[in-house]
Amino acid sequence: MNNRVVNVLAATSVAGLLFALFGLSSGTAGAADPAAQVKERQQTMKAMGGGLGAVAKYVKGEGATAEDASKGVAALVAASGKDPKAVFPEGTEVGVGDSAAKPELWKNWSKAQSDWGAVQPAAQKLQAALQGGDRAQVAQALAATSKTCGGCHEDFRIKKN
Amino acid sequence: MGRTLPVVVLALPLAFAGGAAADDGAPGGAVASMPATTAGSAAERGAYLFHAAGCQGCHTASEGGGEPLAGGRALKTPFGTFYTPNITPDPANGIGRWSDADFIRAFREGVRPDGTALYPAFPYASYTLMTDGDLLDLKAYLFAQTAAAAPNKPHDLSPPFSWRFLLPAWQWMYLTPGPRPDEPARPAAWNRGRYLVDALGHCGECHTPRNLLGAMEADRYLAGNPDGPDGDKVPNVTGATGKGIGGWSDGDLTLLLETGLTPEGDVVGGAMGEVVRNSTSKLTAEDRAAIAAYLKTVPAVE
Repeated sequence: MNNRVVNVLAATSVAGLLFALFGLSSGTAGAADPAAQVKERQQTMKAMGGGLGAVAKYVKGEGATAEDASKGVAALVAASGKDPKAVFPEGTEVGVGDSAAKPELWKNWSKAQSDWGAVQPAAQKLQAALQGGDRAQVAQALAATSKTCGGCHEDFRIKKN
Repeated sequence: MGRTLPVVVLALPLAFAGGAAADDGAPGGAVASMPATTAGSAAERGAYLFHAAGCQGCHTASEGGGEPLAGGRALKTPFGTFYTPNITPDPANGIGRWSDADFIRAFREGVRPDGTALYPAFPYASYTLMTDGDLLDLKAYLFAQTAAAAPNKPHDLSPPFSWRFLLPAWQWMYLTPGPRPDEPARPAAWNRGRYLVDALGHCGECHTPRNLLGAMEADRYLAGNPDGPDGDKVPNVTGATGKGIGGWSDGDLTLLLETGLTPEGDVVGGAMGEVVRNSTSKLTAEDRAAIAAYLKTVPAVE
């Protein structure tokens, strides 16, 4: 075999190995496609927002039942349990797809990570409050939960219209 | 003092003449503040105004680890970058030497104690509507804070915006000094809401687009600003149904002001996230309801 063929073979196997590693660790189908990762993040955020929105509707007394609210908070608890590295993989900042994530998110990763990590405990408290059934406590826990979302949105999200 | 006195003078004859029936709407012609509380010391009342007026955010360089209210935060605008000043009671670098009259004049007329004009990046086009009583309460609160010796940083503006001597002309064209009397035909909550939105909250400074000279465009009041702080788009908060808040319930509005949650379940970020955190979440529920009551009446501008 000449050098060129060896090089191509080596490159292919390294690429294959990398693909397998990243593909498995992030658990996404289009692992190497940043635009798809942005889409997936947006779906995660939509799931979280939809969940929070259902609780909000319940608190406002605008047509959501207690059952809707507890389904919503369950979705939020589940989505917020994802690994932040999988939700915010490197190379998915603004400019990729219609990403709204500022590059500062990765420059300031420890804050981003702790912001993300604060969501699930708050959501679990909200879940407990919903089970308790005291509307005032639910409202309070809802405010605390949205605060955890806001911390990250304030620092790391650009405003889209 | 300045505030409570006229209210008492106006309210007393009403109370004697009409018994309890005099509380619908503000006393005729009185100024709008209808305070959340008249109890406590001036500094305690001032603390509430401080939150409602959102002073903390701009006057603290939190990203650079700046001391509270010591200024130095960069405000990037289409006219250049402003660096907010130190408003702690430090006598050399802050406002510690300002008299009551100096303080009122800065907010009412946009003029510094030495007589030079302030840039309207300090939103005196809105704060001019604050009552003297509220301004003095706010001053009492600020003067009770810890002094910081941080020196002020000069603004970084390009001509002609760097020519401070032009500012009086701007003020002559665009500044309508307040305060503004209540609209007696409207309920008290509406008048309070208008005061919170226009005077204290200075909502229009971001939500109303600006003309080429940086003045708020009155005919697009609260209709959104495509070029807001840090280049962000600021949404329309008139009653417009498309991009405005025409379809929002009172509960949608008050919940956003309290928690940052939008009806879709999103949580606001950027500058509004900061406003919710520093300001509207700290208001009383009555005041948030008043803001909603007022905003719902703002004419729709698409």
